[in-house]
Amino acid sequence: MSIITKDVKLGFELPAVSKKFRIEDFRRGDEKTIHTDHEAAAKEGLPAPVAVGPQVAALIFRQMRLCFGAGWIVGGRFDLTFRKPVFVTDFCVARGIVTKTEREGEKLRVHCDVRVENQERGIVITGRASAVVPIVDTLPPRS
Amino acid sequence: MSTAKARVLEDGQGRRAAFEDIQVGQSLGEMEWEITDDLIDLQCQLDQDFDPLYFPQSGATTRVAPPSMTYRPPRWLFSRTYNVRGLFVRWENETFREIAPNTTIRVTGSIVDKYVQKDREFVVYQAEGRDSAGNLVFRSRRTHVLDFVERTAPRAGAGIDSGIKPERI
Repeated sequence: MSIITKDVKLGFELPAVSKKFRIEDFRRGDEKTIHTDHEAAAKEGLPAPVAVGPQVAALIFRQMRLCFGAGWIVGGRFDLTFRKPVFVTDFCVARGIVTKTEREGEKLRVHCDVRVENQERGIVITGRASAVVPIVDTLPPRS
Repeated sequence: MSTAKARVLEDGQGRRAAFEDIQVGQSLGEMEWEITDDLIDLQCQLDQDFDPLYFPQSGATTRVAPPSMTYRPPRWLFSRTYNVRGLFVRWENETFREIAPNTTIRVTGSIVDKYVQKDREFVVYQAEGRDSAGNLVFRSRRTHVLDFVERTAPRAGAGIDSGIKPERI
């Protein structure tokens, strides 16, 4: 089931998806990494442990899956730039807006501008994502 | 601005790759990646996404993996060739086919670019995954900055983390 259909309007705001991260979200066994250990992060010049980028980007992926369902699983595209580090206890929220639609065979590709903001509303990830929705209604005609 | 005065020279897995070591056009090799239910479970846990598409209920269609699952295998290929810790700065990706449990995907990759910007060194690599019939499943292009510390800082000392990690999700 998906939220967005072929009738979506440009400017439609995708539902926000957010998470308050914890350092435990990034632990893998007892490894000391820049994601879990202050000294390991400091050695790399980082002021504190940083979140794993794909786990922050996952807020956008959840948003796209929620909006497009199977049209995100197959046909999903994204181009994301990680603009600044997310620290491991940051709050992050993914936001997005529909910017364009275009026909792609029997489907409609819906393009979105997406971003992730931290608790200070600073943009930590920005980019574009798109997915497809069917153009032809799949419900059987009424008898 | 970074806080350290030097870029890490080496870590427990050996010397860090220098910008000069990165060869544009170099193959990153290939790997056979087996998709299991356990891997899908783990990826969904990392993503905190537990949609029924990934956990089908009784009578539903077959299970699929989240597209984000394609992140790690190309990174493993990159790490097999170069010890780069760094930070992930750009991720382009497209998924062409479902990724289902109990299938194998052949992943290949290569270095496509490297450049210097804002006093930091960047490397770009691409990868693709194909199913056992040769069909394209996903295509990806990633950019990593070699160090958070500016390139004018000398390389010295040992890091605790490494770009080379156990190949597991």
